[in-house]
Amino acid sequence: MKFKLVFLLISSILILSLVLAQTTPYKTTINVLVWDDAHTKAVKSLIPEFEKVTGIKVNFIALPTRSVLEKAAVGISLDRTDYDLVSIDEPFVPQFGDLLLPYPLWPKGKIFEKVDLKDIVEGAVNAAIWEGSARGLPINGNVYVYIYRKDLFEDPTNKEEFKKEYGYELNPPNTFKELLDVSKFFAKKPNMYGFGPFTIKAEGVTAEAVFIMSSFGTDILKVSGKAVKLALDKKKAIEAIKFYKELLETAPPGKLSFGHTERIQAFNMGQIAVMFQWPALIPNHEDPKQSLVAGKIGYMVPPAGPARRVAVTGCWILGIPKASKNKTAAAEYAYWWASKEAGKKLIEAGMSPVRKDLLSDPELQKTRKWYRASLEAFKYGISRPRFKDYARVSEVIQVYWTKGISGELTPEQAIDSMYNEIYKILKEEGYVQ
Amino acid sequence: MSNRGNKSGGVKPRQIINNIIFLGPVIAFLILMLIYPLVYSLYMSFHKWELTQITPPSFIGLKNYINLFKDPLFWHALKIQIIFICIAIPLELIIGLLIALLFQIEFKGNNIMRTLLLLPFFILPSLSGTTWRFILHPTYGVFGAIYRFLGKEPVDWLSNGTLTFIAVIFQDVWRTWPFIFITLYAALSNFPQELKEAAAIDGASKFQIFFSITLPLLIPAITVACFLRLIDALRIFSEVYVMTEGGPGNATTFLSIFIYKNAFRFFQMGYANAAGYILTTIAMIISAIGLTRIFSREIYEY
Repeated sequence: MKFKLVFLLISSILILSLVLAQTTPYKTTINVLVWDDAHTKAVKSLIPEFEKVTGIKVNFIALPTRSVLEKAAVGISLDRTDYDLVSIDEPFVPQFGDLLLPYPLWPKGKIFEKVDLKDIVEGAVNAAIWEGSARGLPINGNVYVYIYRKDLFEDPTNKEEFKKEYGYELNPPNTFKELLDVSKFFAKKPNMYGFGPFTIKAEGVTAEAVFIMSSFGTDILKVSGKAVKLALDKKKAIEAIKFYKELLETAPPGKLSFGHTERIQAFNMGQIAVMFQWPALIPNHEDPKQSLVAGKIGYMVPPAGPARRVAVTGCWILGIPKASKNKTAAAEYAYWWASKEAGKKLIEAGMSPVRKDLLSDPELQKTRKWYRASLEAFKYGISRPRFKDYARVSEVIQVYWTKGISGELTPEQAIDSMYNEIYKILKEEGYVQ
Repeated sequence: MSNRGNKSGGVKPRQIINNIIFLGPVIAFLILMLIYPLVYSLYMSFHKWELTQITPPSFIGLKNYINLFKDPLFWHALKIQIIFICIAIPLELIIGLLIALLFQIEFKGNNIMRTLLLLPFFILPSLSGTTWRFILHPTYGVFGAIYRFLGKEPVDWLSNGTLTFIAVIFQDVWRTWPFIFITLYAALSNFPQELKEAAAIDGASKFQIFFSITLPLLIPAITVACFLRLIDALRIFSEVYVMTEGGPGNATTFLSIFIYKNAFRFFQMGYANAAGYILTTIAMIISAIGLTRIFSREIYEY
């Protein structure tokens, strides 16, 4: 009897092991390095689900944006890596490109299907490309979307007053001129301001400078393959700074030290009428627990500048370091993250998608009204300069853009200095003879 | 005669073994954690080494140092570091000394007050920087509220280069004056009271007693406190990083932030190592001078 019981027990364990071995084909751990925001928090919350299906244990390391690049720089080389999957911010793809496995070489997944890049919005795919091939899987659909206080724009009194003052209908601004008009109009209201700038010394300033200057018709650099040319049209750039200075007049107090925290806070408190926002941060505005204006927000593509309409992209890609020993498991995780099925659940948890089918899903668009604007904005997508010495150029842009808009330098002095400093970098790095 | 050697002046092998056993781990630790990084960073400062590139570091001799001396931002960083030290430390010294003298007078709640005054010193530098960033914010900060209460437009401290630099000094003084205070307070508490009493009997005024007796006796403690603060001020980083990130513009780009940016933003490790070595050299020279002064007999003998 005892023998039978032991035999049954051992048999059961063996059968169970076989079944489990079949359902979870991996028995490995991967280290994943990502940025920390609502998007990755959502992904983290569903990791147990992924682990259960695959048997892959995920060490999910979420750090503030800047620290991710530092950790990646120190932790990845050609022959060793601390991470099996890393997230890289779009302008830094050229910097890390040589260390990452090109996406076409990523192994197929055993459980989740390899994501076809055609399923992802084009602007985000461009973010992953370096020297002709995608260096990873675009995962975060960030592009400049303009957000505005729909309730204020639809208010009959505001409409009447605006028409009386400016001679045309109050509508969400379609051009820079209209943006300035509505910002000035709302800045006159009590406890209200017009525009929410980004002015704290960070990548956001570079994005803002590139956006405004490009809308005025000038790029900062022209990058073609390995050739990099300084393309800054000083006259147009000066006009761009002057315009932004005017917009700043309508911004809340502390306008020259406005970063993400300050902008989100001011908009959520109902102080700002209109500003750009990255889609990944929009859930903060639509959460009634955090925001007084949840449900009162409208979304649109950025207004057109005097020269053209553009929208700066700020996508993140997932890359597999060439030195990773867990490439298949890492790829499996990325495919799960970027799959439509997991995407639907992740969206509920706060993720901002990058797949066309999710962004254009009518059901999702009903509750997430910025999806339509995101999709539209990607059509006008432009990148910050993409080359290996971007970080130094970005620093120069941040320094002189802020000096120009703050009045520390005249717009002419700021643009002259910006031009000369960038030229110096290009010369030092051998782009200019 | 020294008892370390034997009569013939040599050292016993057993003593050598003992010395190795006792000193070995410490020496090994020093070599591994101090000497090796210093030598390696010096070696790498002669290389062009880009952290994220697949090409190995290449030897470029003194080029990083030459470029550094040609870099206006490096000189700017050095200049504002010196200005910062020259303003912040004397301010901390004056406040610390005055409060230490005040606490020589016995009053009710002296002990509690003394403990409370030390609190800023125990706050993490990064936390202090973040706190001050919000304190100074014109909309959400206390300063803004005070301005509004007085019916004035709040000042945006962190948007202007000069104001931001002042704010950084303010933050540093607020956080570190208690260190000078407690050092001087401890020294004052151990003073021989007879000297002061004798001077008072001889008719010396309070000012005379302070300048002729108290202050000279305090010099060793002041030297130690200032020396330690000086070394600390050379390394100022996290509080400024979270408060201003070296901005606006480069108004608060101190040497440590300059080095950090070159290393972890621009990934130019060779260049950053060269700048780091210059900062280390400055710190070592100051340490050598300071230590010589502190341990000189002249100072310790009243």
